[in-house]
Amino acid sequence: MNGFASTARLVVVGGMTSYRALFNWTTPSMYIGTLFASPLFQLLFFVYVGRGLGVAGDEFLIVGNAVLSCSVAGIFGGTMAIANERRYGTLGTVLLSPRSRAAIFLGRGLPYVLNGALVSVTMLGAAALLLGWRTPVDRLPALVLTTLVGAIACTAFGLTLGSVGLRLRDIWLVTNITSALMLLLTGVIVPSGELPALLRGIGSVLPLTHSVAAARHITDGDGFGAAGPDLLIEVGIAVAYTLIAVVLLRVFETEARRRAVLDAM
Amino acid sequence: MNARRSLPRRLPRLLAVGLRTHIVYLSRSPLEILVALIEPLIFATIAVYLFRAGDRPGELLSAAVGAGLMGIWASVLFGSGAAIQNQRWMGVLEPLAAAPVPLVLVFLPITLASAAVGAYALLATLIWGVLLFGVPLDFADPLAFVAAVPATVLSLGMVGLLLAASFVLLPNANALANSLSYPVWMMSGMLVPVDVLPAWSAPLSAALPSKWGADALRAAVTGGDAWPPILICLAVGLCYLVLGALMMTWVERRARDTATLALA
Repeated sequence: MNGFASTARLVVVGGMTSYRALFNWTTPSMYIGTLFASPLFQLLFFVYVGRGLGVAGDEFLIVGNAVLSCSVAGIFGGTMAIANERRYGTLGTVLLSPRSRAAIFLGRGLPYVLNGALVSVTMLGAAALLLGWRTPVDRLPALVLTTLVGAIACTAFGLTLGSVGLRLRDIWLVTNITSALMLLLTGVIVPSGELPALLRGIGSVLPLTHSVAAARHITDGDGFGAAGPDLLIEVGIAVAYTLIAVVLLRVFETEARRRAVLDAM
Repeated sequence: MNARRSLPRRLPRLLAVGLRTHIVYLSRSPLEILVALIEPLIFATIAVYLFRAGDRPGELLSAAVGAGLMGIWASVLFGSGAAIQNQRWMGVLEPLAAAPVPLVLVFLPITLASAAVGAYALLATLIWGVLLFGVPLDFADPLAFVAAVPATVLSLGMVGLLLAASFVLLPNANALANSLSYPVWMMSGMLVPVDVLPAWSAPLSAALPSKWGADALRAAVTGGDAWPPILICLAVGLCYLVLGALMMTWVERRARDTATLALA
């Protein structure tokens, strides 16, 4: 088998095996409750708050929350993909492998990308059923692509957090706080333009800010061309976080081998 | 022997000592307190922006109070929901069950403490609103506000008892807890009144003490008679206390019968 095919197999088969292993401890009800029910209630909450205050409009809040809903799978899944190896004491075994760390962990992120995009699309469908949200059918492919790009960026961000989790005692605190902050900083509820410059700056380098903007261009009927620049920036953010994750993994592994303190990583 | 006979006399002390112990225990970790405060502060910020955008600058205090109330519910949901599980993990569930007082009176202070600690969130969102957004603390009825906060905390603590007893029976209680924040925030009208919700949800809202607590706090902040909702909030909370006590007693008996206290 040539190198590319071997790496591709590692990414795909390794990722799917790892994703299946997730269901050793989670259950369908936990899975649906966390990934689908919670974002749906969040979407409904903000739509009704918007209606009660007469602000934003249903579509603004529906599209924003639907795109944001991919972050749970992406960020928490990406974090789990790395940090759980340390938590369950299997990190040493993984690091014994001669294979590329990047291929191993990026493969694990892959199912969460698809999972996140599926959640976002489901939220849009639920909004259509429950809240009467409508958009022309020809805009849907671009919208799905936008959620996919957002999910990739979130998963890359999650992998970065997971890498940091090799050093922190409790990465889940950071992940939970970051996840909550994204509600404020990514323009999902409050338009980015209304935030102070500092918060706007932080939001602009977080995943989803540009996906949400792109999705709004698409649903506003501005066309895919108008959404393109934001999507490109989001792809750039995904690439940047992926690189940061890979570099952090390399640095922490080298440091752990040098000091022979794998468990204290 | 006569421990149960003298219980009514010792009950206030038992509850007071338990409440104090668990409030101090839950307040020991500055990091956890900080984390518990961050989400309400984020919601307070979002609420202030939304209320401003909705041209309701006069109701900013209501937004800050609503966000704080959301924090109290989150604290009850995760603190009380895991109350029994936490005692089990710490290895003290068996001694607690073996104590001469009914188990329900051991757990009630824990759930009340989780609601009381949640009140930090209310304090934080008020301070946050004043310092960051210049929200004036001009309560329409300060006395009613001072009464409504402990009434709401107390009632939510009673709901917590039912959660504590129910969640121990559910293998996936965490998933349920994760999904229950937003529905209760929404059905209680913590940020906006429940009038905007579909009519079918009205009975569900009325069954939540947090709805009456939110009504009372809103009336105390913006004007209106806060006392009837305060009383209803306490009455509904008492119903949850009775249900929680019955459920806790049943759970304890079931665990003793099947010898699965450490597992059930």
